[in-house]
Amino acid sequence: MIFNTFSYYFLFLTPAAVLYRVLPSWLRPWVIVAFGSGFFLYFAYDMAGVWGAACLLIFLWESAVSRLYQPASRWCLLGLVQSVILLGIFKYWNFFTGLVFLHVPNPLRWQSQFLPLGISFFTFEFYHYAWDRREGKTEAGTLGEYLAFILFFPTMVAGPIKRYQDFLPKLRAGHNVSSQDWERGTTRILSGLVKKFAIADLLTAWTDHLNVHDILVADQRVLPFWALAYGIKIYADFSGYSDIAIGSARLFGIKVPENFDWPYGRRNIQRFWQCWHISLTRWLTDYVYIPLGGSRVSPPRIYANVIAVMLVSGLWHGAGLNYLVWGLWHGILLAIHRFWRQLRPEPNNHPAVVFLSRVVTFVLVNAAWPFFCMDLHSASVFYRRLLFG
Amino acid sequence: MLTTFRATVEYLAGERDDAPSFLTGRGEWVVRCLVWMAAILLIYAFCGQSSKFIYIDF
Repeated sequence: MIFNTFSYYFLFLTPAAVLYRVLPSWLRPWVIVAFGSGFFLYFAYDMAGVWGAACLLIFLWESAVSRLYQPASRWCLLGLVQSVILLGIFKYWNFFTGLVFLHVPNPLRWQSQFLPLGISFFTFEFYHYAWDRREGKTEAGTLGEYLAFILFFPTMVAGPIKRYQDFLPKLRAGHNVSSQDWERGTTRILSGLVKKFAIADLLTAWTDHLNVHDILVADQRVLPFWALAYGIKIYADFSGYSDIAIGSARLFGIKVPENFDWPYGRRNIQRFWQCWHISLTRWLTDYVYIPLGGSRVSPPRIYANVIAVMLVSGLWHGAGLNYLVWGLWHGILLAIHRFWRQLRPEPNNHPAVVFLSRVVTFVLVNAAWPFFCMDLHSASVFYRRLLFG
Repeated sequence: MLTTFRATVEYLAGERDDAPSFLTGRGEWVVRCLVWMAAILLIYAFCGQSSKFIYIDF
């Protein structure tokens, strides 16, 4: 829930933003740290009990270790490894051990597994900081500034994924938060809530049918509409969430990265991914695709890298084979697009071709959503019924 | 025309700081008030059926 609860606005956002606006600039990072910690304890306890709230210690540990990071230092490697291990244990333990013991009950299953609030996002920020410190791309900042970066609660739970070198100057900027920041921020929050309540939640009536039972008894002709409804819902839901996060950050005078730029109107799959969940795409480009060799390697390696990055993206979205298939689908589409671009570097700009390519991109993206919202078995039932009745 | 439409929507949704030229001036505040009122009305009309944000569990 979080962004659609009164607690978020009245216990955390409004008091924190008001204090941030009136207190002297040297105290501002600590306002974010105090309210960010309270926010994490409150909502993590609500979602996962005492152990969930205790995960605040992860932030404290990470901030302590981060003080040791230096350019080219091994401490940065430790930071990278610990963030991957952390995510691996909490999110993927049962998935990977389940794959090892595929046909027998998993003796290593973590029965009371829970996900710390926002772990998929905050570990990416930990990883980014350790990597960029190692490469000498960012300064260390003070402990308070780093804590404010990782505990900045508007973006803590589901992004947009920030960069320390972008965040720090805004935190340090001595100017007062302006009335325009508050007006634009509040407008952005309201538009995000409208997207969530009036579009995303309204479509739930259709998307709830995406389960094996309903798929089997439904008229075959309604199935594409259910998939389309999910495509619109996830866009309204997540872009609405991002609007609220960006608007909330604006109340602190801080502009965080945009996450969406009209993705459904794009003319090819590469442009789609440059406009959908932009902060994630950039993170994967900088910390997975480029380290794998990026576009400087042979064409077959480029295709393999593109597919590998999308498999990582799929697995990051969820610990399930369906997410891997979803990532593979997008990876193959991106590889095909790159191959096509090599054959024909200049795009055809005839209006009919442009229109058709936008429609095809939209259909191909929406065709993959059933893999995203259902397990592999249910999704395969969906496609079987859709294609063969 | 599409560019103006996009700029208008983005301004009304709080994404852009600068209003499109046809909205600047005295009418700008009226439009902002109307947008807030419309948004609050829509939120009031549709809230209560709320579900979790999809990306919260990630």
